[in-house]
Amino acid sequence: MAASVARVGRPLLGVAVFLAALAVWEAWARSKGSILVPPASSVVETAWEVWPTTDFLTGVGASLRRLAAGFAIGAGVGIGLGLVMGSSTRARRALEPLVEFCRAMPAIAIVPAAIVLLGLGDAMQITVIAFGLCFPVLVNTLAGVRAVSPEVRDTAAMLQVGALERIFRIYLPGALPSIVAGLRVAVSLGLVAVVISEFVGEGEGLGRYIRLQQTEFDVPAMYCGILFLGLLGYVLNRLFLVGERRVLSWHYGSVGEGVGR
Amino acid sequence: MLRRVNLAGWSFVLLVTVLVEAGVRLFDLHDSVAAPSATFRALAEGLSSGALPGELGTTLEAYGEGLALAVACGVALGIAIGSSRTLLDATSVVIEFLRPIPAVALIPLAILFLGLDTPMRRVVVAFGAVWPILVNTSYGVRGVDRFLHDVARTSGVTPIGRLVRVTLPAALPSIATGIRVGASLGLLICVTAEFVTGTGGIGAYMHQQQNAFQIPELYAAVVLIGMLGYLINTGLRATESRVVFWVGEERLADR
Repeated sequence: MAASVARVGRPLLGVAVFLAALAVWEAWARSKGSILVPPASSVVETAWEVWPTTDFLTGVGASLRRLAAGFAIGAGVGIGLGLVMGSSTRARRALEPLVEFCRAMPAIAIVPAAIVLLGLGDAMQITVIAFGLCFPVLVNTLAGVRAVSPEVRDTAAMLQVGALERIFRIYLPGALPSIVAGLRVAVSLGLVAVVISEFVGEGEGLGRYIRLQQTEFDVPAMYCGILFLGLLGYVLNRLFLVGERRVLSWHYGSVGEGVGR
Repeated sequence: MLRRVNLAGWSFVLLVTVLVEAGVRLFDLHDSVAAPSATFRALAEGLSSGALPGELGTTLEAYGEGLALAVACGVALGIAIGSSRTLLDATSVVIEFLRPIPAVALIPLAILFLGLDTPMRRVVVAFGAVWPILVNTSYGVRGVDRFLHDVARTSGVTPIGRLVRVTLPAALPSIATGIRVGASLGLLICVTAEFVTGTGGIGAYMHQQQNAFQIPELYAAVVLIGMLGYLINTGLRATESRVVFWVGEERLADR
């Protein structure tokens, strides 16, 4: 979706509109002189000063570390459960109501319970991140496994392929394009959960930084933090798309014929 | 469509409930985990005393208004952007710039602008929910068969008529998906804003119970939010399958 909107036929027009919007912001902010709307130029200036500082980068590093840990756990659980639920009807029916309920639960809802159980530190934050991003991965894995064609399933059954081999040699590769799509959604949801968990928890991080600037009323610095988050989300998404294209090159070459469809 | 009750599924839920209950009682974990029985008692009390419904109402007000705003803006802009190549090119960079910003990160900024109450929450919910709706709408509109458009034009259907009778129905499945994604994101943002500011709504209620170590009351609120999310999700899904009935079940299964 992002790619299709971003597929810019005449990229210059988009850039021109963007610059015009910045100019309008600049002019408006200067004429209004409100502390809440600093001119674009002063935000850029602040960013130039703040972004390279060790303090800021340590925070970014801490956020990224928690995101990575939460992603590894959440994606692992999501793919694992998705594969189990996809390959066994009995497992799917047994787990479905519980999963449907948990899936509809916004990540913030588990925050206070996680705080009571795990405190304010990394364990709570990583749990919240993992919970927040696990379900799109699960749902996509399940959908991908279920989309494996009946002929392939029947052939595997006829050849008496064992359950484990079926999961790893048929379902996992077949569902991979769908799983990767889920992982990409998970990255941006994970970033949301990172911010939430840092708002309520302790330790450094980007979300913490933004919240701190709000209480200290340093508005340009707050804009800097928000912009950096947006940038981070954008870059992570891009990196993922590039990786996706590389990992799934076999799939794009064989859509329609492949195992997955 | 008649569906059999999923016996295995509900037995599993029951099993988990019983295990948690037994675990909490056996290992005396009352300080950190609420037993399901205590949770449901707290839920029943909270609901009958009017405390929970009141908080829920506050939440739903900001959430509903924010989501309505997001749907209105997202669908209108999405249609405009989807039907004009120039507009698509013109807005692409701005959209790609704003969209990856996690809306929860804007809560502190919105607090400075709008204070701690419902207006702030409404705006943050709208900002968060608008992107999936906008992008899915423009995507759906661009996917409309050109041939249908040409037929309608040569048959003398006015531009408004084409919009209402060709573009909208064809883009509807995609719009519905966008609204569903936006709705669950909006709920997350709304409850987070309440939790962070602590000024009302089910999120603030949770925060109070957490600080007071009222564990069963806290878990009752969690269960209630889960049910709310579930109802919103299944409600939208049911509406969706009724309105865009021509789309197959398996497409609705994707999130």
